[in-house]
Amino acid sequence: MTNLKMAVWLGCILYSGLLYGQQEFTLSGYIQEASSSEKLFGVTLVLNGSIGTTTNEYGFYSITLPADNYALEISYLGFQTIRQEITLQGNQKINFELVEETNELDEVVVKSNRVAKAITSTEMSVATLKTETIKKIPAILGEPDLVKSIQLLPGVSSVNEAASGFNVRGGSADQNLVLLDEATLYNSSHLFGFFSVFNSDAIKDVKLYKGGIPAMYGGRLSSVLDVKQREGNAKEFNGLASVGLISAKALVEGPLGKGEAKEGKGSYMIAGRRSYADAFTFLSSEFKDVSAYFYDLNLKANYELNENNKLYLSGYFGRDKFGVKGLVNTFWGNGSGTLRCSSVLSDKLFLQASGIYSNYSYNLDNLRSGAEFRWKSVINNYNFKPRLSWFINGNNTVKVGTDFTYYNFKPGQISPLKGSSVVPQTFQDNFAFETGTYVDYQQKVSEKLSLQYGLRWSTFNRLGKAEVNQYETGNPLTYDSELDNYIVNPVVGTTTYKSGETIKSYTAFEPRFSMRYLLTDNSSVKASYNRMNQYLHLISNTTSATPLDVWAPSGTYLKPQSLDQYALGYFKTFKEGAYDLSLEGYYKNIRDVTDFKNGADLLFTESVETEFVQGNGRAYGLELQVNKNEGKLTGWLSYTLARSESKVLGINNNQYYPTNSDQLHELNLVGIYKLNNRWDFGANFIFGSGRPVTYPTGRYSQNGLVLADYSDRNGNRLPAYHRLDISATLNPKSGKNGKWTFGLVNVYARQNASSIYFSEVSEVNDQEVATGQTQATKLSIFGFPLPSISYEFKF
Amino acid sequence: MKTRFNTYLLIVISCVTFSSCEVDVTNDLTIETAAPKLIIEGGLERNLKNPLDRQRIRLTTTRDFLNNDTQTPLVEDAVVTVSDGNTPYVFSYAGDGFYENTEIAPVVNGEYTLKIIWNEEEYEATETLNEVPLFDAIYSVFEEETLVTDEGYFAKFDTTDPEGIANFYYHRIARNGEFIVVPDPGNSDVLVISDEFFDGQQRVGVNPNDEIIFEIGDEAIVQQLGISEHYYDYLYEVFVQSSAGGFSFVGNPPPESIRGNVKNLTNSANRPLGFFYAADVEEAKLIIRE
Repeated sequence: MTNLKMAVWLGCILYSGLLYGQQEFTLSGYIQEASSSEKLFGVTLVLNGSIGTTTNEYGFYSITLPADNYALEISYLGFQTIRQEITLQGNQKINFELVEETNELDEVVVKSNRVAKAITSTEMSVATLKTETIKKIPAILGEPDLVKSIQLLPGVSSVNEAASGFNVRGGSADQNLVLLDEATLYNSSHLFGFFSVFNSDAIKDVKLYKGGIPAMYGGRLSSVLDVKQREGNAKEFNGLASVGLISAKALVEGPLGKGEAKEGKGSYMIAGRRSYADAFTFLSSEFKDVSAYFYDLNLKANYELNENNKLYLSGYFGRDKFGVKGLVNTFWGNGSGTLRCSSVLSDKLFLQASGIYSNYSYNLDNLRSGAEFRWKSVINNYNFKPRLSWFINGNNTVKVGTDFTYYNFKPGQISPLKGSSVVPQTFQDNFAFETGTYVDYQQKVSEKLSLQYGLRWSTFNRLGKAEVNQYETGNPLTYDSELDNYIVNPVVGTTTYKSGETIKSYTAFEPRFSMRYLLTDNSSVKASYNRMNQYLHLISNTTSATPLDVWAPSGTYLKPQSLDQYALGYFKTFKEGAYDLSLEGYYKNIRDVTDFKNGADLLFTESVETEFVQGNGRAYGLELQVNKNEGKLTGWLSYTLARSESKVLGINNNQYYPTNSDQLHELNLVGIYKLNNRWDFGANFIFGSGRPVTYPTGRYSQNGLVLADYSDRNGNRLPAYHRLDISATLNPKSGKNGKWTFGLVNVYARQNASSIYFSEVSEVNDQEVATGQTQATKLSIFGFPLPSISYEFKF
Repeated sequence: MKTRFNTYLLIVISCVTFSSCEVDVTNDLTIETAAPKLIIEGGLERNLKNPLDRQRIRLTTTRDFLNNDTQTPLVEDAVVTVSDGNTPYVFSYAGDGFYENTEIAPVVNGEYTLKIIWNEEEYEATETLNEVPLFDAIYSVFEEETLVTDEGYFAKFDTTDPEGIANFYYHRIARNGEFIVVPDPGNSDVLVISDEFFDGQQRVGVNPNDEIIFEIGDEAIVQQLGISEHYYDYLYEVFVQSSAGGFSFVGNPPPESIRGNVKNLTNSANRPLGFFYAADVEEAKLIIRE
């Protein structure tokens, strides 16, 4: 029934498109960067100052207009604007090449409407960052980092400097859909959160949706981080290599099938990065038994089959290793491969389809003598994502598609190492099939009013083969109010499901809506609403996510999480786009947010349903961002005022408590100063009010050790966090290829509290003893200024 | 089996940044203290090798976490009984918070109920005593220094887990007559263990506590206790909390008071802390030799 309804609705939309006048023609084509032929996404085309469109992910645009003469203006941040007269008297295909703005200081800055997009687009709660900007911001140990950079934007934060992932508008790290060329990454961090998995050299651009998420995306509650890899230079072979304190990187790119032609039929890009932190561990004898490193590989290639059909291949493989001799050895990472094709079916119809394989796995070897074993856990997923875009005319665009995802979770396989007596064991596989079918409609109602609305219909089926435990009361856990604890109910039997048989299915409608109303030529108001469903849960019994946390699919006992978000915003530009401002407010309501029960044990547990509990959450806040877009000094100021709370039975006396990512005030100031052709300077200042912490309210002892009693979860606050980082880039002289970057993180040596913890004094004269004495300790991850230097050269 | 390997991640944090630092802020903080709660510590032990002349349970209350000048507040006026289902045995006060009974003789599979009446409130807990397997061998071994252990002699044992039964173990060790435990991150891996992954197998070279080093001539007493699953879960949390500190990124558990097995029947909001256990004890003595 629901499918029929959608078909009728879709039919109405399509029919309404046909009602437009007869004498209309379509202008379409690709827009690319001049020096490398990289296709550009999000380029704005404006005709006669008002009718407009933007290029899609493949650099394709299409606009249908009555026959007439038009003044066309094509603009994109960081590129020179193209102005051209077009006489439209038939369908036309025109490809454009944009030239990067030169570094000349005396250049006449084209004050186009290049920031006007922020005003005119229906998108809100969206942040985009370009690799060039990321590279100019001061970075920890000189490693430019995408995830650390987006944390300088309003509404994006991290629990601490060493937490995996990032938090968007008070959401947890697992509520972010992280896409690398459309493939889902399950862990976005290297080395437990110090660095992200994204090699900045291999990344073209990044777009973060914090709200108003279009119907094309689904499966996570809080945000979508859409990262695109560079396609490679289709005109000539290029290389880039760099060495820094933490890693060495290399990238090569070039044309494919070029022959004698000026430009290849395609291009490729291969990039690699390897940290050498393990080299340092040999410096100090204290760390002689420790090994820790990461590496990753990025690959992308595209090939033009003919004028209308293109093929893309992209891949990512990354691994982290951390081991302590005689104790533990771990190895984890993501891998993904994406094969895509795009096809211009007609001037107005654009088809894209992607087949994706992605994998996340980790090994954990316990090397303690007597019980050596290896634990292996894997998530495989297979996606197929076809999408059709119909550029009906200058005012209406429809996108329809379905995302199919098949999951195979291998939660655990245990095998003995070194001939230990550990019994080999394999937990049963979990299988699931998820779909998201959507219609997204962009409609320009009038000069002032634009709408984007859509509907996503998502389904999730847990499939056999499986044996599912049945519990005495029907539920795995019962809350005992006397013990204030959850009791695991006895298993009374199991239900066996055959291979492919549905165990449990969930379906949901997810309406999406956003609107923009132009108040004046340089200001607008926007509103949006989105509902999201999340069928996978990252169940972590630590206060911040670690790479070894367990991803669990919804099923018989674990319900999907769902969210409603409402947002309202005001956008304005000043001085012809030299400055722009955005102010947004949001409210989020979350159902069935997952939390672990007290003392949950997740690492080696097959029946995770006995380890978690579900409750409700809410988050609300206000975000302000002011950008300076022109001149020698560019940058932004962002301020966030926010709250994020959860309420779960059995936690905090069943009352709302602040989540770990709750932070009332956050202020970021980022400045990039271009002194001359050779020197660029960057600085950022971060201020955040204290994060939640729980101080003990009592002390007692058990079995010879001191313990703490607590009352309110996250009832106390750490001291405020602030830090200044600076960087300087020495660009090469003309004709030379080497570039130096210098950085200093935590300039004024602020000892920010990453945590304050309470413990028994356990060491006297270098001897470990139980003293019965207690202490409070502040841990600062950056205790003093941290310098860095890196060198990059092109070849 | 539970493995708190995350604790060691702190090491990588230190070596990646070279910049982390820890500062004692004990005197800079004021923390609120909640009203005192009853603490139960102790239980019944069946020890065939070295029979106990009495069973002891200690009652105290909570106090200010950071104040190191005050003594542990004792509960001296409680009425304590343990019943084996037939006979209630009265535990009488013997000083320093301890309540003792010399009559009760714990048996395997016995179900014991503790009742405490104190401050006009009634507390209750129930535990079952599980049999423990014997040692197959006990010996001393010299080991070189590693990242987490010092160089020296260790007391180790071999033991065979009974097949088809879920067993939970707790290890205790004494050096020259004194039982020792130190707040160490390895405790939750080493001092308690479940047979989930070695059911029915012999374990060889089990180190009951890799923090305790011996010298030649020292006397070691090694104990393996058979405990209930509930007590195992409880001790696991005790060892994690008492040693993990507060590094959220190394897998610190959320700061929650650890739930025991004692209920307040009169006023459940005034929840007591601690645990009443029943354990079977296998014990062996060893003089450390080369």
